[in-house]
Amino acid sequence: MGYVKWTIRGLFWLLVIAFLHYTLPQHDVARITDTYEKRVDPGSNAMFWSNADTGEATDVTVRDVFFIQAFRTNDKPMIYRNEDTGWGWPPYFKFDTSNLQAEASDLISKKNDAKPQWVVVRHYGWRNEFLSIYPNAVSVWAVDGPDVRIIPWFKIVFLTVLAALFWAIRVRWMRFRKRRIEPKVDEWTDGWA
Amino acid sequence: MLALLRLVIFGFIILTVIYVSISLYSRSVRRRKLLKDWQDTGRPGDKDAYIETGMAQYQHSLRRRLIWLVYIVPITMIAAIIYFTNFM
Repeated sequence: MGYVKWTIRGLFWLLVIAFLHYTLPQHDVARITDTYEKRVDPGSNAMFWSNADTGEATDVTVRDVFFIQAFRTNDKPMIYRNEDTGWGWPPYFKFDTSNLQAEASDLISKKNDAKPQWVVVRHYGWRNEFLSIYPNAVSVWAVDGPDVRIIPWFKIVFLTVLAALFWAIRVRWMRFRKRRIEPKVDEWTDGWA
Repeated sequence: MLALLRLVIFGFIILTVIYVSISLYSRSVRRRKLLKDWQDTGRPGDKDAYIETGMAQYQHSLRRRLIWLVYIVPITMIAAIIYFTNFM
């Protein structure tokens, strides 16, 4: 029985970690090579597209989405989508998609440029070729070179607060169980073998 | 604008549930503490009167008002995120 319990626990924590990994912001150092827009028809991967309600109709099945094409410092390509998240999930409250596209195309830089322009792309989400899903770029800014160091302050603070909150609730729950539930169970099962 | 309405309504409901739970929990902690105080100080006077006086003081305390942060912190966070994401 111990195996079942640990498997369920493991799956639960795997889900929590995957959820946080998808939702929390990440930073990539990259070189933007192109920006474009492409028609997308979200199907079974619809939950990985945001289609936010920021003025436009949300009941259309086909729409144009901005994309940002980039190469990361390891020379591997990375494609970001650039969509509003609006008032929905995840809570980035991003409404400036078109402005971001303008900033991104202003920073385009090719491999053979005399001095390639490197940028940091803040994004959330995953790139997965099998599902055709793309991380959503939240902001871009220019940096001096490919070896900048980014300290993820937001993630440090957020995860610390989350752990503290979890611990505070857990401690109170354990105390409640010891004080209120265990005596009752002992009382009811008194005399049981 | 339906999405904004949804956020406001569900946000308000969730924060209210948190506010009420914390409020009840904080009251019960204070009540237990007052009972312990009453026993430790040699049981002065009527127990219920002692606790009721203490709870009336709690009603005006800073600690109770701090529970309003349940509403204030998320709203401030949202405003800050909107500013940082779109206008920086």
